[in-house]
Amino acid sequence: MSEIAIHAQKLSKSYNGAVYALHDLSLEIPSGAVFGFLGPNGAGKTTAVKLLTGLLKPTDGSCAIFGISPVKKPCEVHRLCGAVTETARMYGRLTGMQNLIFFGQVIGLTKRECRQRAETLLKSFDLWDVRDKCLSSYSTGMAQCLSMARAMIARPRLLLLDEPVSGLDVESALRVNTMMTNLAAQEGVTVFLCTHQLQYAQNFCNSYGIVSKGKMLACGDLESLSREVGIPLRARFRLREGQTPKHMECLNDGWWGSDLSEEEDMPDLLQNLVSSGFDVFEAQLVHPSLEDIYFKLIEWKGEET
Amino acid sequence: MKILTSEEKTVVFKDFGDIWENKTARSILFLVPFMMTLVLPVFFLILLFHVPSDQIKGMEQMLQLLPAQAADLNGRQSVFYLVTNLIFPMFFLMIPLTSASICAASSFILEKERGTLETLLLTPLSVKRVFKAKVLGGIFLSALTTAVSFLLFSIVMAVGDLLLSMPFYLNWNWLVLFFFLSPVITVFSVLFMALTSAKSVSNTESFQTSGYLVLPIVLLFMGQFTGLYQVNAILLLWISGILFAADLVLCFFSVRLFTAEKLLR
Ligand SMILES: Nc1ncnc2c1ncn2[C@@H]1O[C@H](COP(=O)(O)OP(=O)(O)OP(=O)(O)O)[C@@H](O)[C@H]1O
Ligand SMILES: [Mg+2]
Repeated sequence: MSEIAIHAQKLSKSYNGAVYALHDLSLEIPSGAVFGFLGPNGAGKTTAVKLLTGLLKPTDGSCAIFGISPVKKPCEVHRLCGAVTETARMYGRLTGMQNLIFFGQVIGLTKRECRQRAETLLKSFDLWDVRDKCLSSYSTGMAQCLSMARAMIARPRLLLLDEPVSGLDVESALRVNTMMTNLAAQEGVTVFLCTHQLQYAQNFCNSYGIVSKGKMLACGDLESLSREVGIPLRARFRLREGQTPKHMECLNDGWWGSDLSEEEDMPDLLQNLVSSGFDVFEAQLVHPSLEDIYFKLIEWKGEET
Repeated sequence: MKILTSEEKTVVFKDFGDIWENKTARSILFLVPFMMTLVLPVFFLILLFHVPSDQIKGMEQMLQLLPAQAADLNGRQSVFYLVTNLIFPMFFLMIPLTSASICAASSFILEKERGTLETLLLTPLSVKRVFKAKVLGGIFLSALTTAVSFLLFSIVMAVGDLLLSMPFYLNWNWLVLFFFLSPVITVFSVLFMALTSAKSVSNTESFQTSGYLVLPIVLLFMGQFTGLYQVNAILLLWISGILFAADLVLCFFSVRLFTAEKLLR
């Protein structure tokens, strides 16, 4: 693909000079990607977001957002990206609407533009009914949604989201997902998403980076990750009860499984089964889940050190 | 050239709103000038008219502090003259000091405590421009408070002077105090509070630090009662000059010191 949205070169940050919160992070995320940045607590996800937005200065290495350094030109970077972090709050005494208008104006929109944008955003985040209530009376999830609306007010080309769905219920999380997916697909917005909710990330992202203790363990899409970790693709079949194919592992409830070296092997396997007289009711190609990969990686790297 | 861009103005007005909505800040912003310019002078005037003249004679020692140009004043007049020139300036200077401190505390420290400063720094406004908007907003509000207080104070003093049939209180001391010393103290307090906000201190703690600013002023004016020196226009000009230089230094440092990382720590 074309442009590089986020580029990081050996990006490192140490808060106290002794321990690295983030160590030698190298990344290249093309524009339009939805990138999941995954890792356990204290892995350095928030630190990475703060480095990319220029709120922190890197101890070593460098990074660039659309080719602009957040250290040298933070303002220009902020013009291009909207960021949501856990610690960036909005004004409790202002209403949802006023908050959005304020931040819109600070970004440089006119009051009219702000109002129009705020209306659309409040409606799409289902905050329209509480738009005239003070933020201090919002629930955690509502405030979180408002923060996201704030990040989007100036139509950024990149969204940096730190734990965007941690306080949200299933319904709002789903709404946020749909919105981001649409943004990414239709407007080509790049999304950099930090989370430790793997299931969520798998549904939503198209490439992933897995970090632990400040180090990037692996990076890529699901396929390349599973290849790297060595968890194979699996084929699963449900056969008529009593039938027992050779070279297959018996799973529960009449299901049989077998490892595949690549996707292309599936049709042949199926054909073989059918031509050998088995009655196939269902057939599945099972990709390893992000969770499998993640735990395997964490386990591996844990052993190494 | 515009002093503030429209984005910066938005921040300034939002800060005014924050101060207004903050009960403590609002009451201090009104109460201190009210006390210093109305309650205390009026209370003193009433007291002066109720104390019999012969008791004033007992204050001989204090009256020795009277300068030559006030030699032909009678008892009540000279006491009033002394208080106007020795004590009230000290009270008056509390106004720019407290109002500037409270404005800066609200717009820097509270904003940091509430986590909204980070959001503000995530906008295309640079740290410098946020800093500038907040400092100028604080200076404006406290300058306004000081000017209004000065007007009120002058009215009260005019009434007092009329009642005691004395010349109007305004002299070189007061002019220098209002036009030179108050502004530099305002700027100093705002910058001082802004700088303390860069160190991670809580709101209450920073108010304690601002107490250190009050002390020199009190010492300066109360020291006159030792009889060793008198505060005059020249001395006040010197102090203003020194504080002005200090303002420049503080300004220089804060622009250098203020980075997003330090502010948010
Ligand atoms: N302001 C700070 N000062 C010192 N150390 C810090 C600071 N912020 C984070 N750290 C340290 O840096 C490391 C990474 O922290 P970070 O907040 O980036 O983790 P995270 O991946 O966001 O974790 P979580 O999932 O809990 O949000 C941690 O070990 C933490 O202790
Ligand atoms: Mg975090």
